[in-house]
Amino acid sequence: MMLKIDNLSATVGGKKVLNGLTLAIDAGEVHAIMGPNGSGKSTLSYVLAGRPGYDITGGSVTFEGRDLTTLAPEERARAGLFLGFQYPVEIPGVNNVYLLKAAVNARRKALGLTEVDAYEFLQLVRAKMKLMQMDESFLSRGVNEGFSGGEKKRNEILQMLVIEPTLAVLDETDSGLDIDALKVVARGVNSLRAANRGVLLITHYQRLLDHIVPDQVHVLARGRIAKSGDKSLALELEKRGYDWVTEAA
Amino acid sequence: MTAPQALPGNRDENWRYANLRPLAKARPDALPRPEAAALPVPAPLAGFQQWVFADARLVDRPAAPDGGNVADCLDARTAGDAFAGILDAEIAAAGVDFALSRANARHGDEVLRIAVPDGTQAAIDVSFFAVASGAQGTSYPRLQIQLGRRARLELIERHLSAGAPDAVVNAAVDVSVGAGATLSHVRVQDCAEQASVFDTLVAHVGEHAQYRLRTITLGGLSARSTAFIKLAGRAARCDFVAASVANGVQTHDFFAEIDHAAPEAATRELFRGIAGGRGKLAFNGKMIVRENAHDADSDQSLKTLLNGSGAEAAARPQLEIYTDRVKAKHGATSGKLDEQMLFYLLSRGIDRPQAQALLQWAFIEDAISQIELAPLRQRIEQLVAARLNEVASLDGLVSRS
Repeated sequence: MMLKIDNLSATVGGKKVLNGLTLAIDAGEVHAIMGPNGSGKSTLSYVLAGRPGYDITGGSVTFEGRDLTTLAPEERARAGLFLGFQYPVEIPGVNNVYLLKAAVNARRKALGLTEVDAYEFLQLVRAKMKLMQMDESFLSRGVNEGFSGGEKKRNEILQMLVIEPTLAVLDETDSGLDIDALKVVARGVNSLRAANRGVLLITHYQRLLDHIVPDQVHVLARGRIAKSGDKSLALELEKRGYDWVTEAA
Repeated sequence: MTAPQALPGNRDENWRYANLRPLAKARPDALPRPEAAALPVPAPLAGFQQWVFADARLVDRPAAPDGGNVADCLDARTAGDAFAGILDAEIAAAGVDFALSRANARHGDEVLRIAVPDGTQAAIDVSFFAVASGAQGTSYPRLQIQLGRRARLELIERHLSAGAPDAVVNAAVDVSVGAGATLSHVRVQDCAEQASVFDTLVAHVGEHAQYRLRTITLGGLSARSTAFIKLAGRAARCDFVAASVANGVQTHDFFAEIDHAAPEAATRELFRGIAGGRGKLAFNGKMIVRENAHDADSDQSLKTLLNGSGAEAAARPQLEIYTDRVKAKHGATSGKLDEQMLFYLLSRGIDRPQAQALLQWAFIEDAISQIELAPLRQRIEQLVAARLNEVASLDGLVSRS
């Protein structure tokens, strides 16, 4: 099992948000987590990535056999976990290409590989940018600086494609995207799908799942998984809303 | 009433944050000409005439560029009188804020006078090396700059150390920018960390003239910069960007008063300072808009970053406005590294020390990036990165010179 979350509880600012969440993702799988506002979706992504202030109070998280909770955020990333942020921050003064290269080299170092060759790296980045329909001028700009909401989301996926993580947790990557941008983002995510990789998609809407077809869909309610099913569950949620699941939970 | 010889003290309004102890202890006599020794003179920049002073005394007279010399080293006593008529006497009030400038005039021997005639341009790079210890005397560099109508000058003014680490410098700069003229003035203070470096700048900016001032302060146990800039002519403009890194037990203190004394005068002031260790930083930016300075426009952005539990920083905008028809925007923040940005970088696998260095760099780069002259900017980036102690981490971000 690639990721095994067992009976996980977590608090944010002293408030209990995750409450006995259990979830397992195997290599090669794409899981989608849906759920109403405040159900703990983003909290789950931050807990997995190790954001300060998101405190685990019970349960366990194992990633490729390692206890994820003992690792610092940067160690989790180097171990192969990637978080696609719902609201990527702007970091003027640090340019995109620099961040990409530093991130790739951090991961390569952890894997015992030498630093990436500058020319090959640029070729790789260019190819991925083409896939994400991003202009190369983005590379020399500050990280997310002055990017539109959609550009920021594309940039998250670009980073993911260049870093090539083992497990990608994508927090509402579809929010704020028009239909064309959604397709571009979905194409990027699908291009990363592989037998040795896992994806956890966190989303409000079924429409993303038309383009990235999940193996399993889970509904999160009150900090735990209230219902799991295949992709047809997402369609049912679209028709009936969340109440029928969350009330039963 | 302050006696003319009295030095400022921390009780004086504009001097609260300055570390004045080294100044009080220093011998006020002007240092003699140091013995000839190799100085680490910065590599020349293309097109710039280079002047070098050691303990405020000229080392070599450079060859005159094509079109003749606009700069000359003069005897301070006579040059001061000649320049007084050019400079707006009203700027330099008799108060304690000018005590150091007066001390410079009283003790200093040599002045570098730069006079760019109407409609002409020049580029000059001046390095002032502090050589002897403050126990032996004080170094009194002085620059007098006069730009004729529509003249242009690119000026680099550096204060550096060579020799004793505990030198005391009291510099003075007088500036007069004629109508329609443009002065680009980059000041770099990179003296030894034990040095004390004080300077007073007085500027008069004429009609439609522009004063682009960039100040980078890195060295000095105690550094204090005082600036009085008067936008005296209609649509005079001042664009002032300052950056400072105070580490260890360094104190860097700034006071800048910009006086909008004519209609449509405009100022943009930006300060970025990082206080690390037990370093102290203060920037007091005072904007005055006179009654007749209608349609003045001032914009201040003063930010400091604390990077150490014992570090202190204060960014203080001050506005004195005597007219209704004015646009005045100001913002000041003092804080630690942004936790969200830090987490974002960590989540990409970047080491914590490297991520912190990157964010400090990003913070100060806001100011450094505004040094227009690329080769100079690259060198300054190197100096700043060295002060952040993370040059290796910043490899690839900071251009190699």
